[in-house]
Amino acid sequence: MVLEATMICIDNSEWMRNGDYTPSRFQAQADAVNLICGAKTQSNPENTVGILTMAGKGVRVLTTPTTDLGKLLACMHGLEMGGEMNIASAIQIAQLALKHRQNKNQRQRIIVFAGSPIKYDKKMLESIGKKLKKSSVSLDIVDFGEEDEGKPEKLEALLTAVNNNDSSHIVHIPPGPNALSDVLISTPVFTGDGEGGSGFVAAGPVAVSDFDFGVDPNIDPELALALRVSMEEERARQEAAAKRAAEEGSSQNKGDEQSSKSQDTTMADTTGATAATDAAEPMSEVDALLQQAIALSMQTPASDSAVRDTDMSEANNEDQDLAAALQMSMQEGEKDSAGQMDMSEVLEDQAFVSSVLASLPGVDPNDPSVKDLLASLHGKSESADQKKDEEKAPKDDEK
Amino acid sequence: MACTHDHSCEDHDCSSDWSLYKHIDLAKVSALNEAVPGSVKSVFKAWEHRLNFSGELLQSNDGDSELLVYVPFTSDVKIKSISIVGGPERTSPSRMRAFINREGMDFSDAQDMQAVQEWELVENLQGVLEYQTRYAKFQGVSSITLHFPDNLGGDTTQIHYIGFKGEATKLKRDTVATIVYELRPNPSDHKTKAETGGGLSNVG
Repeated sequence: MVLEATMICIDNSEWMRNGDYTPSRFQAQADAVNLICGAKTQSNPENTVGILTMAGKGVRVLTTPTTDLGKLLACMHGLEMGGEMNIASAIQIAQLALKHRQNKNQRQRIIVFAGSPIKYDKKMLESIGKKLKKSSVSLDIVDFGEEDEGKPEKLEALLTAVNNNDSSHIVHIPPGPNALSDVLISTPVFTGDGEGGSGFVAAGPVAVSDFDFGVDPNIDPELALALRVSMEEERARQEAAAKRAAEEGSSQNKGDEQSSKSQDTTMADTTGATAATDAAEPMSEVDALLQQAIALSMQTPASDSAVRDTDMSEANNEDQDLAAALQMSMQEGEKDSAGQMDMSEVLEDQAFVSSVLASLPGVDPNDPSVKDLLASLHGKSESADQKKDEEKAPKDDEK
Repeated sequence: MACTHDHSCEDHDCSSDWSLYKHIDLAKVSALNEAVPGSVKSVFKAWEHRLNFSGELLQSNDGDSELLVYVPFTSDVKIKSISIVGGPERTSPSRMRAFINREGMDFSDAQDMQAVQEWELVENLQGVLEYQTRYAKFQGVSSITLHFPDNLGGDTTQIHYIGFKGEATKLKRDTVATIVYELRPNPSDHKTKAETGGGLSNVG
């Protein structure tokens, strides 16, 4: 979030016609420049960015430092390639443009895209670097394109002359399958001096999510914490439900559909083994209801084909049913009788749901994420637990 | 420790004279061509510590003896004199040029512009010398920029202490701090003379 005025020096020399970066060096450079402009203006609303071209008839300033992103993107259009890059005068002119920035509180930064060979010698570049350092201007160098001998050394020498407390960086990008801008996103050119930019990085095409849930705890600690807590709650509830389902399922799955049943029991056993010992309170009413529910679900595989035909068309209806189920589970203080009535309706829906899931290609009902989804629909009340048992049992049957 | 006052120091506390450092806006102090960014803040301290050579100091980059120090104050001050304690072995600055109330200067500006006042400095390792200003020109100082173009021959320029003697006014120069813009006028804010019952009209 550092307040900065940046001048970007673009190489539009003849060497940029080469196609070793897709689609061409020039286009890759333009994409990278657009991304940088966006990142800079986003990280601090008062940041300004200006653009100049280094080749062509001579060094030409396209825009002086401005906050207007539209203007920056517009002036990238219609650029023509030609001539040779003149890095020394380009840097000096960039320095002059920065000197006359409107907000003197902004730090000064120059970003140079060095794609063609450099005809100046090391001494000259070092003296330029020293002048930049004296006026506390930072310099970022993107070394790409033409691989000249001595070019990396010259640029490194320039960097050491300018570098003051690691505020200047150099990036060497050889031609390869990755786009220039993708490689640049992860470098300090984009992310600044370790601060800022991380928000932009997460939004970029190459999202760096080293953190759980894709949320950076530093950026949004409350959100990360809430996600983690709800995940753990879900896990605990699921384990309790799975354990109960295992108990019920193993008792109910006798002498019915063969292979699926045996798999069910093994699965139920494993889930029962892994389930945490929880204080499950099976009530007699619940048991009776469970048996009823399971009987219902046993019937649905028999009429499987009919169910499956109507699966997709009922998908939308399922959503509404699921929403209804969610609402029901969210209401606390629901009378048991009423709950039971509702549950039997929901049950059938759940059977449909599980059959839908089984029929959908690529959806494995045993997938934990699918289980989570179903489990999360039932909220926290006891009726919710019961529903989960019922839906787990038919799911097991459906296997 | 000899002072340049015409009285003995036992019954006068010199440090109270050099207390303008308390009115310096240290957060906004900056320097150009300093070797260690941020080290410039360490040269503004109390008079008693001006000879403390062990702490941090302001040093220019190797091979380049120019320094530019920007010092804003929290309120307008009047500067009577300035004291500089440089470094040993010819690293002390040899000349000083002062600019008043200019923000964001850099070396080319400093070299091109005419300074409000310039001094020839000598080595002042004992901290006894002070350089008087033309007081009339240093009356409403909100910020001062000191340019040290060269030193006594060393590789770098070192400064351990910069002190200002003078008085601080409670005033603050320029800049309207808060402006409230109205989309629509609020009649209650704009009482006319007729409403407040003041003033006789000469019409008729």
